[in-house]
Amino acid sequence: MIEFRNLHKSFDDLAVLRGVDLFVEEGETLALLGPSGTGKSVLIKHAMGLLEPDQGDVIVDGISIAQATPKELRSVRRRIGYVFQNAALFDSLSVAENLWLAQTDEKEGRPMPSCRAEGEELLRRVNLDASVMDKYPSELSGGMRKRVGVARAIAHQPRYLLWDEPTTGLDPVNADNIDELIMELDRQLGVTSIVVTHDLDTAFEVGDRIALLYEGRVRAVQTPDEILRNEDPIVSRFVRRSRVGDGTAA
Amino acid sequence: MRKLTNGLVTVGEAAVLAGQIVRVLPRPRLYMNAALQQAYLMGIQSLPLVLVMAFLGGAVTSQQTGAQFAGGLPLWVIGSVLAASVITELGPVLTGIVMMARVGAAIAAELASMKVTEQIDALVAMGRDPVAFLVVPRVVGGLIAFPPLVILANAMGIVAGYTIALLVVDGMTSADLVYGMRFYFRTWALIFSVLKGAVFGFAITFIACFVGLSGTGGAEGVGRTTTKAVVATTITLMVLDVLLVPVLKAF
Repeated sequence: MIEFRNLHKSFDDLAVLRGVDLFVEEGETLALLGPSGTGKSVLIKHAMGLLEPDQGDVIVDGISIAQATPKELRSVRRRIGYVFQNAALFDSLSVAENLWLAQTDEKEGRPMPSCRAEGEELLRRVNLDASVMDKYPSELSGGMRKRVGVARAIAHQPRYLLWDEPTTGLDPVNADNIDELIMELDRQLGVTSIVVTHDLDTAFEVGDRIALLYEGRVRAVQTPDEILRNEDPIVSRFVRRSRVGDGTAA
Repeated sequence: MRKLTNGLVTVGEAAVLAGQIVRVLPRPRLYMNAALQQAYLMGIQSLPLVLVMAFLGGAVTSQQTGAQFAGGLPLWVIGSVLAASVITELGPVLTGIVMMARVGAAIAAELASMKVTEQIDALVAMGRDPVAFLVVPRVVGGLIAFPPLVILANAMGIVAGYTIALLVVDGMTSADLVYGMRFYFRTWALIFSVLKGAVFGFAITFIACFVGLSGTGGAEGVGRTTTKAVVATTITLMVLDVLLVPVLKAF
């Protein structure tokens, strides 16, 4: 379980997170919604210790990230797969090398050739052909890069997957494909996921629960049906905006 | 007050990075292949420019010395000035300037770009140490590549200065030049030159990595970071040049 406790984070004078309390239950997919710039990505980066909170803590499987030793932090990071917004693939490395970096670690040090078959299998899981292995990120389309990013995130068989704006910058067809991929991987791998998005369609499609982050705090955490019935004007204005048109609003 | 605090924070962060580098150094398995690759790239790609700069530096030194001293001092002094200038100053400093422009700027831009596109975060997220993976190979690569480049720059500077002196200084003979160079030459000067190259190699790659890793913003931020790295390495290079003089005198 991942639990955010009273998390505060500021950048210079800008308070981004102002006391976030949120937990993610085992096996669920939590869609984290919110307007751009409200700190959704900042929040999930704390779960991996990529950012240090000014106050508060994140607990992952009972380990306090704020107080974790380097060894504990490494262990937490091996349990989590992070899908970055723009894939964050290493430009100077081929797809195979990008995957290899996640397949093994400095301690284990498996040579790249022995990871190749496993890498091809990872690509198949995200519906990419093995021929992509020797290409460089600059030779791939945006959708393909995202998929390679997903393959890299699941390479070390994580228990948790953190998706940072997985559909941003994709056309509707590719965005739908990524939504399907999120659900498919949740089923196949049985992972617990947090999907950060400002795309309502993605949130309602993939989320078992939806949390709305607003002005640095969690405004609501409910199932999709419940949040559509939420009468808080801020929640209702945000979540109903595109749901009324397609007839799914309560 | 805020500037002073920021300055102290920067020095502290640089010290932390230096400490992290030192911690990784005893484990060459983590970085040596990449460091050798970096050294090869830095060395081979920079060699033509280093040699051109050294040639010009040597040529200017012998011509100007000839123009200023001919008639007043024995001609062999030109050989001494040429050897002293090239070995203790021009060889290492011109190599440093070329490397700062070619290697330092490239490292800062690359790491800043990796930072703003979350590639550094991705490394950390995969449980990899960015210092072992990115910084140490570049710093060790610099330490390996710089000294041979300085030796080659010294050789080129002296050959160029020697040739140009014979061509343009009236009455100059090969025997005068060789005598002047041998009169000046001390083994320590050569060791000092190579040592200076290693110090510059460390300073340029370390500062470029440090500034690059602090990159923020988008494309504009990468540009700003690169400029900052070039300015910081230029100043550091010249300050180190001054600070190292007592080392030359000490032996």
